[in-house]
Amino acid sequence: MTGHRWTWLLAVGLLAAAAAVAGLRHSLPAYAEYGAEAPVPLVPSMTGQAEYCLTCHQGIEAISASHPTEAFGCVRCHGGQPLALEKEAAHSGLLGGGNPSDFTVVEAACGGAECHSGPADLNRDHIQRSTTSLQATYASAIAAVRRAFGAQTKPEAHLGISAVTDPHITSSTGLADLTAFSALAAGEPAPVQLFGERCLSCHLQAEPLQQPGYQWLTGCAACHAVTNWQGTYTGEDPTIDRTEAGHAAFHQLTTVIPYAQCDTCHNRGNYSLVDMTFHARTDLPQDGSAGREDAYYQPIAQYTACEVKLDCIDCHPAAEAMGDGDLHSQMDQVQTVECRTCHGTPSQLPLTRRLSADTDPALRQASLNSHANLALGDTVVVSPAGDALWNVQQTGPTVFALTAKVSGQNYIVPLVAGSGCEQDPQEQSSSACHACHAVEHD
Amino acid sequence: MNPPRNRPNFFEHLHPPSIPAEQARFRYTLGLGGLSVFFFLVSAVSGALLLFYYSPDAANANASIQLIQYHVPFGWLVRGLHYWSSQALVVAAGLHLLRVALTGGFRAGRGFNWLLGLGLFLVLLAANFTGYGLRWDRAIGPALLVGTNLLRLVPLLGDSLYAAAVGGAQLGEASLLRLYGWHVFGLMLPAAILVVWHLFRLRRDGGIAHSPSAGQQTARIARRELVRRELLAMLWAGAGLVVAASLAPPALQGPLDPVQLSADASAPWFFLWVQELLRLGDPTLMGIGLPLAVLLLFALIPYGLDRGLQLGRWLPADGRLVQSLVIALSIAWLSLTLMGALR
Repeated sequence: MTGHRWTWLLAVGLLAAAAAVAGLRHSLPAYAEYGAEAPVPLVPSMTGQAEYCLTCHQGIEAISASHPTEAFGCVRCHGGQPLALEKEAAHSGLLGGGNPSDFTVVEAACGGAECHSGPADLNRDHIQRSTTSLQATYASAIAAVRRAFGAQTKPEAHLGISAVTDPHITSSTGLADLTAFSALAAGEPAPVQLFGERCLSCHLQAEPLQQPGYQWLTGCAACHAVTNWQGTYTGEDPTIDRTEAGHAAFHQLTTVIPYAQCDTCHNRGNYSLVDMTFHARTDLPQDGSAGREDAYYQPIAQYTACEVKLDCIDCHPAAEAMGDGDLHSQMDQVQTVECRTCHGTPSQLPLTRRLSADTDPALRQASLNSHANLALGDTVVVSPAGDALWNVQQTGPTVFALTAKVSGQNYIVPLVAGSGCEQDPQEQSSSACHACHAVEHD
Repeated sequence: MNPPRNRPNFFEHLHPPSIPAEQARFRYTLGLGGLSVFFFLVSAVSGALLLFYYSPDAANANASIQLIQYHVPFGWLVRGLHYWSSQALVVAAGLHLLRVALTGGFRAGRGFNWLLGLGLFLVLLAANFTGYGLRWDRAIGPALLVGTNLLRLVPLLGDSLYAAAVGGAQLGEASLLRLYGWHVFGLMLPAAILVVWHLFRLRRDGGIAHSPSAGQQTARIARRELVRRELLAMLWAGAGLVVAASLAPPALQGPLDPVQLSADASAPWFFLWVQELLRLGDPTLMGIGLPLAVLLLFALIPYGLDRGLQLGRWLPADGRLVQSLVIALSIAWLSLTLMGALR
């Protein structure tokens, strides 16, 4: 009987041990790792469906004032499983990994008639504009390189990063479609193939270089989610590794895009068409500590004082950076802002528009900026293409004031007219104005 | 008049008064038949509990499992027990079938019970497959698509079988209710009947197969000892199920979109061999013909394929044909499954 007793004891002991394992799992759920004691429910008003993402992601920053957490929640934009309380299950079906603005999923994540794929006349077509913009298609660079190496004779672009069509052409230079560049790469001249292999890391759909200083996310977040030099997260979400690169600094979208964000792509070095290689700048400190002037201006560059004081977005309005909804072949087809846009010419004041309708996109754009103070009836400067530089306001018959979008600093814009400036209105290139107005840089 | 004492209680009464000691040994049965019954009961009870929360409609099915898994107190344990008992049931029942084949347990007039067991095994496989489908997550898509499309290939009945299984001209949201209906009723009712019938038939056939020539001289154990051993086995198996449910919870991904089935997910383990067979040739031949031929072969084992008489021990010498056949088929099945798993 002793043998029997031991068998029973062993079996009962095993069951007790199994029950203890189950009890442990019950009392130590996965989210306990992040400090939560109980599931944290959130019922966003837009969906009315409970989601429990904040159980682990507690403390995460609200994405933006335009997307209040109480209204949007997490799942509307990020996808995923709202009821799951374990990482793998909860993240099943997540749109774009951690970045729902990646162009492969942006329509599902950010789209919708009321959201960012609405009508163009209400300026709600952000997805259409950004996915057809030169920053996404890279069509201008591809066309220029192909032309330089004899693969095409005319400057018009035919190829983009991915195939894209535009059914609604609104400008004289708009293209109906672009074919995917890689699809034709096999028949291209050798240098163009090399270009295709090595030089396609700077567009909105590219895999960003995993190096300090080159940290940006794909899609809308490339510009609208600010990254730091290391690409590390510095917010309050306990689930995100603070030493891991590839993150935005905060879980926040912004229209106040500092020059440093543009720099992550636009000012890190140069692609050489001679050896088809990217040559990184060597004059920058490797820890990201370069000051504003050094960070922006490469050695021997010429610039004026206003360029250093302002941020890129102070002069380049949304339509220039995000595109105007058309597919273009060259940068100058969308970039129409010049020095004279704000400073005028010897005989003319800047072009302006009085904001007479409350549907004017300038009013909505300005409402997203805490420094802006724009009201119906105000007059703002417009680019030759008609896009409002809503931060440059006409405050008197010959007085124009600029509010810097990022710093909020106010400036009175010096006008050419009556100043003794010898500007030739047709000469607006960088070298023309810099001939007199360049500041020294060592 | 007082009722007589020491009469067997209900549970004891389900067992024969005594069984031969040699055939009651673990190394003979491996406890597989009894364990199968235990796993079946755990599966049935845990399944019944899941019914209180599961929503068999496409819009809510997946969310209702998330609810069970993460928000119903110990829902994860019930779901885990349901999953692991069902997997264990298929394994135990399959091995039980092998054990019976390799010990000649289908001989001496037990052919009909062999057929009942074979039928029960098929019902359990179907129950496992439909249960997998009830998960209604991204991962089940490919198996569901392949599995239901196979039905179409059945000669003559194909289209009707397919319509009965998926509830329409093609796989869609209606398919979930079909899976549900089949799983909780259409398969469970026959399964319950077959389990009882199989056990009843076992008693009618004279209890566990043993050599008749040994007669009354054979040492026997009393049913109380048998019940004791069963209880022990249940404790062990129960502990195993709880540990498995705690440490390896069944997977769950986001909801299935029947229109956009992802092709990258892999089939459930018990379905891998079908996938591999389908790679080898004509789908009708490989997916329907071959499995049916194997099934027919198994069904014919007691009815002409085997003429041996020895009972009650492993690998009796007069059953080499059936033993080789069963072992070869098992190796083939295992190889196909491993190939599928490693792919």
